[in-house]
Amino acid sequence: MASVPSDDPGGAPLAAGQYAAVPASLEERAEAVAGRAGTRRLARRSRVRRPRATGTLRKGEGFFGWLFVSPALVILVLFVVLPIFLALYVSFTNWSGLTPPLASSVKLVGLTNYKTLLTEPGLYQANFAESFRNVFYYVIFTVPLQTALALSLAVLVNNKFLKGRGFFRSAYYLPSVTSSIAITVIFIYLFQGAGVVNSIFHFFGWRQTPDWIYDQRGLFTLILSAFGVNSPSWGGHLVMGLSAWQWLAGPSLGMCVMIVMVSWTTAGTFMLFFLAALQQISEDIDEATEIDGATPWQRFRRVTVPLLRPTLVLVITLGFISTWQVFDQSFLLGPSNPTDITPGYLAYQVSFQDSAFGMGAAVAFLLFALIVVLTLLQRKFVKEDLTK
Amino acid sequence: MKRTKAITGMAATAVVVAAMSPGTAMAASTPLVGPTHGVTLNFMIASSGPAETSADKAAAAAWGKKTGNKVNVINSSNLTEQLTEAFAGGSPPDIFYGETPMFESMVKQGQLLESGNLVYPAKDFYPSLVQEFSYNHQFYCVPKDSSTLAIEINVADWKAAGLTNANLPTTWAKLAYDAKALTRNGVTGLVLSNTLDRLGAFFKEAGGNYMNAAGTKFTFDSPQNLEALKYIQGLAKKGYLKFSPQVDAGWGGEAFGTGKAAMTVEGNWIIGAMQTDYPKIQYEVVPMPVGPGGHHGTLVFTNCWGIAASSKYTAASVSFAKYLASPAQQLRFANAFGVMPSRPAVAKQWAAEHVKQVVASGNEYPNVSAFVQGDAYAMPQVATIGFATVQSNFDNQIDGLANGTSNPAQMLSQLQTYAEALLHP
Repeated sequence: MASVPSDDPGGAPLAAGQYAAVPASLEERAEAVAGRAGTRRLARRSRVRRPRATGTLRKGEGFFGWLFVSPALVILVLFVVLPIFLALYVSFTNWSGLTPPLASSVKLVGLTNYKTLLTEPGLYQANFAESFRNVFYYVIFTVPLQTALALSLAVLVNNKFLKGRGFFRSAYYLPSVTSSIAITVIFIYLFQGAGVVNSIFHFFGWRQTPDWIYDQRGLFTLILSAFGVNSPSWGGHLVMGLSAWQWLAGPSLGMCVMIVMVSWTTAGTFMLFFLAALQQISEDIDEATEIDGATPWQRFRRVTVPLLRPTLVLVITLGFISTWQVFDQSFLLGPSNPTDITPGYLAYQVSFQDSAFGMGAAVAFLLFALIVVLTLLQRKFVKEDLTK
Repeated sequence: MKRTKAITGMAATAVVVAAMSPGTAMAASTPLVGPTHGVTLNFMIASSGPAETSADKAAAAAWGKKTGNKVNVINSSNLTEQLTEAFAGGSPPDIFYGETPMFESMVKQGQLLESGNLVYPAKDFYPSLVQEFSYNHQFYCVPKDSSTLAIEINVADWKAAGLTNANLPTTWAKLAYDAKALTRNGVTGLVLSNTLDRLGAFFKEAGGNYMNAAGTKFTFDSPQNLEALKYIQGLAKKGYLKFSPQVDAGWGGEAFGTGKAAMTVEGNWIIGAMQTDYPKIQYEVVPMPVGPGGHHGTLVFTNCWGIAASSKYTAASVSFAKYLASPAQQLRFANAFGVMPSRPAVAKQWAAEHVKQVVASGNEYPNVSAFVQGDAYAMPQVATIGFATVQSNFDNQIDGLANGTSNPAQMLSQLQTYAEALLHP
């Protein structure tokens, strides 16, 4: 703080003026100088700059400022902001995608598309509800799994006594930089009926292996039926075109493959986040706790994880946002298994397959609304944690 | 925007004119625009492989040379997507492969030139194909080719199971018998792709249909269709019939080529696939069986030569379509990559020539005339807007027929309900 005044060109004379009221001790004096100068600097800033902003020189600067950011701004407005508003507009129309979106044949239909998806019993509503159920289970399984995996990998490769750390870091990161489509295709081969995964299960004596990729049965349903619970009487109650039993089915086996695959792929990227944060933690802290007699697990749980909290929050937030809008994997797996269809893919499918871009855009905006609401909620709860 | 409005205006006028004048009288009133030579046409195709691409390019070059025009061939790997984008952007290709799922949308948006009778009269083509590309009795675009379903039989498996010509699957009972006899040594008797685009053939054989004759109502939940679905389920439950995912195959042809299936039901596109991917397998092609009431039935798939209503060169495009759909050119396409001509006369000629070629090459098989026969009684696809999604919902339940998780009556009534919702939104 003591160096603050000298940072500011106009700071030195004013700071010097402070010495008129010199406090007794040298330390006190230094503190006072730094503190007051700091406050004063702020005060001066707000006082001095405001009138200047209306000066001619500033005006010119403002013009050049806008000029310099304009390329970025034009690109942003043209390719991000406008399309978003156009898509919002399209979601209120019956646009078929076969004419320009602003052609006179495109009619405004108000909330019809949203109503069809949310309140009118029919195929669109059932497909929409199913896609949200699918992605819901996908998110609540994938985010914890990929975060835990990323953190474990980061701690492992951060170990200074590990030989060939560089190799492991690259190896774990490799899936993240590989095309998601290529990885999905490989997983389809691994998990198909007579694929590698089932061959391994067969080797260990499990013969009745499922056809993972095509299997639409939910995980919870399977577990419950193992305990003799099969579609109870209340299970037939329809909510948005899906029965209660279908809502509670859990991720299908096909979806489980997708969850495992994505957790494995993205863990590498998030491992890098954690690794960077881990390297910021001073070794002194570790040593100090070690001297105080903490076990390795206690050190990890009570010291490392709390210090990683900002990174943890970042990874979880990014994880949520990217999983809600998953598309690539669904694009490849969805056509053969409806329990792999997510809203991101449904929006595409409805738009192109049925020439119903208005409906597709409505799906996209409902997904957008959901992401915004859930991200806000998540931020709120995580923030409370931080202030504790 | 100005241009867009002008075009939509023009298209709207065309639609009004179309609505007023019935049948062939329409042909004279569609105004064709642009010069017929010295222009460059954009021609968007969705090729099945290098053979088709080079055949299209050769045809384009030949027509261009003959008429003094140029054709820019654009091969799309996802035609629906690329064509939609081109229409949305207001600059569609002049002439393109028109696909059934997009047909009705294109007509309703006034984007498809009503060129059918301008190119060739409807009577030159198979009626089922003309029906597929007609809307409100107006013939919008000429069918490019035709593909029908038939049964493919692995000759080695057939002989090993001790079956003879007397056992050929000419009826449902014989097909069931053959499927049972051929299910042995890890091979499944009959493998079907899990889609309505295969099972629908059995609907027709049972005397059922997708729609009524006028094409105004869906008739999915008929007792005939139920009988067909129950027949399929009966074979599936016994394990004589499996759906392609159950044997890790993407489609019936893959299961057949890799030897997992002794029989499959596919269209004539399987000829090319067998030649390139599984050339060693000897197989025979026989027509689909007749159902219990003696009904013949198969499905037909096709594209058309679509011309954009907003093209600046519709006159040149119609001239090019005439060249592409001419008997000589259809024969060239059929010989180049195995699609069947959409003209009955040319189709028969092709089948005869193909048989001669096969015999000359020292092979006994396959005899493709089974595919050509099917054209006479084939049922076309449903072109109603939004039907693709309804069909996927049905297709997703097909695998469940084998273990009983899907109920045939329920599947059909749901299909009927969802399809009806498309007609009365």
